[in-house]
Amino acid sequence: MSFVYTIDGVEVVAEPTDTILSSATKAGIEIPTLCFDERTAIYGACGVCLVEVEGVPKLLRACSARPQEGYVVHTNTPRVERARKTAFELLLSDHTGDCRGPCKLNCPAMTDCQKYVGEIREGRFKDAVSTVYEAFPLPASIGRVCPHPCEDACRRKMVEEPISIAFLKAFAADKIEADGDPYVVECEPSTGKHVAIIGGGPAGLTAAYFLRRYGHEVTIYDQQPKMGGMLRYGIPEYRLPKAVLDREIAIIANAGVKMVNGVKLGKDIDFDELRTQNDAVLLALGAWTSMNMHVPGEDLEGVHGGIDFLERLGLGERPTLGKRVAVCGGGNTAMDCCRTAVRLGAEEVYVVYRRTRNEMPAADIEIEEAEEEGVTFKFLTNPIEFYGKDGHVTGMKLQVMELGEPDASGRRRPVPVEGKTEDIPIDDVLMAIGQRANCEGVASEILTQRGTIACDEMTFRTSMDNVFAAGDVTNRGAGIAIEAIAEAQKAALCINNYLEGDEVRAKVPYFVKRDVTPEEFEDRPKQKRERMPGLTPEERRNNFMPIYFGFTDEQAQREASRCLECGCHDYYDCRLIRFANWFDVDPSKFAGEMHEREDKDVVSEVIIHDPDKCVLCGLCYRVCDQEVGKTFLGLYNRGFSTEVNPMVPKEARSFCAGCLKCVEACPTGAMRSFPAVQRRR
Amino acid sequence: MRIVVGEGSCGLAAGAGAVHKRLEALLGEQDQTNVELGITGCNGMCFLEPIVDVYDDGGELHRLVKVHEKDADVIVKAATTGDLALLDDLTISAEDEKFLTQQTRVALRDCGVIDPENIDDYIAHGGYKAISKILREGLSQEEVINQIDIAGLRGRGGAGFSTAFKWRAARDAKPDETGKKYLICNADEGDPGAFMDRAVIEGDPHTLIEGMLIGAYCIGASEGIVYVRAEYPLAIVRLRKAIKDATSRGYLGDNILGSDFSCTLRIKAGAGAFVCGEETALIESLEGKRGMPRLKPPFPAQAGYWLRPSNINNVETYANVAWIINNGGEAFAAMGTKDSKGTKVFALTGKIVRGGLVEIPMGKTLREVIFDIGGGIRGGKEFKAVQLGGPSGGCVPASKLDTVIDYGELAATGAIMGSGGMVVMDETTCMVGMARFFLDFTAKESCGKCVHCRLGTKRMLEILDRIVAGKGEEGDIEKLEDLCYAIKDGALCGLGQTAPNPVLTTIRYFRDELEAHIDKHRCPAGECRELITYSIDADTCVGCTACARQCPVQAISGERRSPHKIDPTLCIKCGNCMTACRFGAVKVQ
Repeated sequence: MSFVYTIDGVEVVAEPTDTILSSATKAGIEIPTLCFDERTAIYGACGVCLVEVEGVPKLLRACSARPQEGYVVHTNTPRVERARKTAFELLLSDHTGDCRGPCKLNCPAMTDCQKYVGEIREGRFKDAVSTVYEAFPLPASIGRVCPHPCEDACRRKMVEEPISIAFLKAFAADKIEADGDPYVVECEPSTGKHVAIIGGGPAGLTAAYFLRRYGHEVTIYDQQPKMGGMLRYGIPEYRLPKAVLDREIAIIANAGVKMVNGVKLGKDIDFDELRTQNDAVLLALGAWTSMNMHVPGEDLEGVHGGIDFLERLGLGERPTLGKRVAVCGGGNTAMDCCRTAVRLGAEEVYVVYRRTRNEMPAADIEIEEAEEEGVTFKFLTNPIEFYGKDGHVTGMKLQVMELGEPDASGRRRPVPVEGKTEDIPIDDVLMAIGQRANCEGVASEILTQRGTIACDEMTFRTSMDNVFAAGDVTNRGAGIAIEAIAEAQKAALCINNYLEGDEVRAKVPYFVKRDVTPEEFEDRPKQKRERMPGLTPEERRNNFMPIYFGFTDEQAQREASRCLECGCHDYYDCRLIRFANWFDVDPSKFAGEMHEREDKDVVSEVIIHDPDKCVLCGLCYRVCDQEVGKTFLGLYNRGFSTEVNPMVPKEARSFCAGCLKCVEACPTGAMRSFPAVQRRR
Repeated sequence: MRIVVGEGSCGLAAGAGAVHKRLEALLGEQDQTNVELGITGCNGMCFLEPIVDVYDDGGELHRLVKVHEKDADVIVKAATTGDLALLDDLTISAEDEKFLTQQTRVALRDCGVIDPENIDDYIAHGGYKAISKILREGLSQEEVINQIDIAGLRGRGGAGFSTAFKWRAARDAKPDETGKKYLICNADEGDPGAFMDRAVIEGDPHTLIEGMLIGAYCIGASEGIVYVRAEYPLAIVRLRKAIKDATSRGYLGDNILGSDFSCTLRIKAGAGAFVCGEETALIESLEGKRGMPRLKPPFPAQAGYWLRPSNINNVETYANVAWIINNGGEAFAAMGTKDSKGTKVFALTGKIVRGGLVEIPMGKTLREVIFDIGGGIRGGKEFKAVQLGGPSGGCVPASKLDTVIDYGELAATGAIMGSGGMVVMDETTCMVGMARFFLDFTAKESCGKCVHCRLGTKRMLEILDRIVAGKGEEGDIEKLEDLCYAIKDGALCGLGQTAPNPVLTTIRYFRDELEAHIDKHRCPAGECRELITYSIDADTCVGCTACARQCPVQAISGERRSPHKIDPTLCIKCGNCMTACRFGAVKVQ
């Protein structure tokens, strides 16, 4: 005989056989549980399905409690939340593993590197590209130019060298293009909302791509003749062929993003007008103004802003330089400048940098290749004066520096060596010490004192309603492309939420992480990174030809197979991590002893069990016992030392039926089938 | 003339076995004698063991205490000559007699009186009268349960659930096709400091059997199981013999006393897990599984052992049953308070003058038990707190000494009646250390099944470990409280749900002591090793060198007859010096 009671104010009809959990599920109300599974008898270990029933003094486990007519059940009272949240925090305070690989965690855009690398290994190139597109568009372009924080974090470097994570995505994108099967963006049905984006660089393009996917009508306005921003006008052809960029921008345009070039904010288009004509405006102006060094002689002819110089090149000019060129700065822009100077025919090219090579922010490979191309590095020197003749620079005075105490960034601060200077004759200077935003045409009320746009770092909203900002133009200032992309990705989500009427802040999800040491990988056979064929230094010195020819399919797959697959295999099905984020956990408050068992148990010929990820829900051994009729697994030890293990001696492990029902039942990544691991080893 | 040696585990541990052997040898040397030598169980006066009771020919009892093997000669001489004045030096003092005279014994009525290995002795003391009456008079199940109900008997294992209610539920539960129901006795006595169940089984096993028979009759069970912890070997031996004897006399087996009631009894030895004292974990263990609690409902009355209707009671509960039937429910209910009827046995231990088993009517105050019966605090120190209910209970401070012993009144203090452990503490006991001790116990004894208990008690223990090591942090108390309430709400069984009690009562009554550890890195009781320093007061020290000789690490230096000094860098804070000093010159801070 069915009866009625309420859960969270919703009337539910229950049968006598129902539990609170089963009737809540029927009513579409989710009550978390880790240890409940219909195939097994009710167990009640996890304690996260607790609910409060009016008039019942104790909290009840929804998995077992039988409702009664007229029960008033609450699943979200503060008492319930505390008990559940504590359970998750306790579980996670002794949960060792990597929810996601360090590559993904270190990528500002949280690209699922492990996933696309795995897809490339399996030859699923289109899937790999789709995976990248979940995080950002432009894989072939970014794959070529990104300074790849992912590879910096890659644990394979503890074996020998990191995986070629960055270029592999460029490979996959090139590959499907070459195969005539290019990526096509799939968009939600139109919402009828309009968003204007000012600036068509990495941030603007990324935001446009996501907003279009969400179904909004998007228009990008850009002052340059073509879209691409810094990717087009800041990065030389030899690093990023513009044909590749054009192709990837076309994918976004084909998705229905309107692109308007050659219009400048405040001149051709009016900020207020854009605001009224659109439901939201995103400012992604970038940082296009070279910073000055504030030394005498900066206004001499022949002293150029580094980014201005590159921009002219991008616009198709071929600036003439003298024989001796000095580039000031140690970042990637400085490398682009010096290597471009070489290609334009300068005979002596100097990089003047006030610290040493160790502190240079530029990517190692850039520095190496610049050296190969004949660039001379003058470390521990700082320009203090440019001087000239007839208004044109002819030389510079350098202050000799030495390294002192570490500064806020942790790098040792360069300090002048009293009275020690050096003079070098030069014909041109390229200043590449940084860029800043130029926000002409933007309402001054949303600008910071430094001239960047002030926006909330979690919602990307400015103080003006419907105006958002992302990329180099915001508070944080200029950074690398993938950082601007990451901001745009989150800003697009925030704009979408805004357009749908609710404000949801971009939030970094909770992940379980762990530290590793090289010893852990001692048994791995060494397999060096694949070498990409390319031009020799001599071949590349006098032209802007792309340096690298890319991987062959075999090379790419071989490279991808080096991946250690650090991230948990069960991430997408893991109930624990989903609930952890649901309850916004902070396990650090219960920080204490953690299990870190050295050997992950191989429990049978087909199953491996990682006790450090086990939540002791008992599903594996209960399924084995009650569903399969074997008692292969069981619990050992007591209290904190309790763990799941085979109930039979090692030699009898073939007793396991190999049905993998335990693997399937496991709510976390603790139980796995063996082949995945063989692949990993 | 009869000489009876008290041979419970406690007496034997104190040397009763040697005394017995010597007496036996001496009596054996006599050609003929009218002196009988016998044994009995523990009478509860642990502080006076070994105890020898001498009954003269007039049946009068002369109780000899702290008897040594070498005292056997004089005892035999006195017994054989009839010159009992020889025993004056060994005879219990009038003061110590108060320990027993102020008690009212129901469950322990025959403990230390009868020979536990002799069924006739039990019968001679009115044993098996209750079950005989029930079966001969053909009392109905309900008539018997009704007496238990009138008596107001509540479970003596800790939770205090109504026994009559449980019996009725088990009686009314529909059995499966086998028709089987079970009656189980929980003798897995695990609370540190509690030993009344052991005393009953060792001292009066037949009363347990009789109580269980009555229970089995009431619920319609044909099989009884006693789950005894394996750490009680003597209890198991005596109970096994008692079962054998009762079976051979027709009190157990088919058609008991010619009726159509049949019931067998067997023993299951537990393997040492505290959690198996939890009824559903006990049932799992009985079934041969890992001892882990089951979810309730269903309760054991509906689906217990092998998922059949089962009733579980504690030893002390069953030990009251025959008395109630013999004397009537009203007689039992006449003792105690409104909600807590009858008597309760407490195991009085700690810094008390007279420790042992105490059975008193409910309604007495803690003060009466501790000071009148127990004789107060040892060594003239101050009473600080009494720990009730073991790992599931809490500490009750001096301000609550007049609390009446009653299930509800004790629960209101934050402690519980529990199984009756009563550990008395003086000013030298650190309450934080005490809470830590119990948490250490529960964390180790957690079965590992539910998250709140397995990990929650572990994390609480870690916080307490930090605090007693002087590494407590601001917010630790709040963190502990948060964990306590979450564990109480989330833990699956009684072990976990009550595990926070020792910590919560420490926070409630001794917060300043916790704060002193955290904020000032000081242990006011002078017990936490990491937080104390020993020193010698130069004015009081006479230079006797006793401390220096006891110091295991040679941290104490000084010339004879001149003040000594402790090198704090060498001192391991064992406290030997303090114990050794007869002048009170060693100080701890």
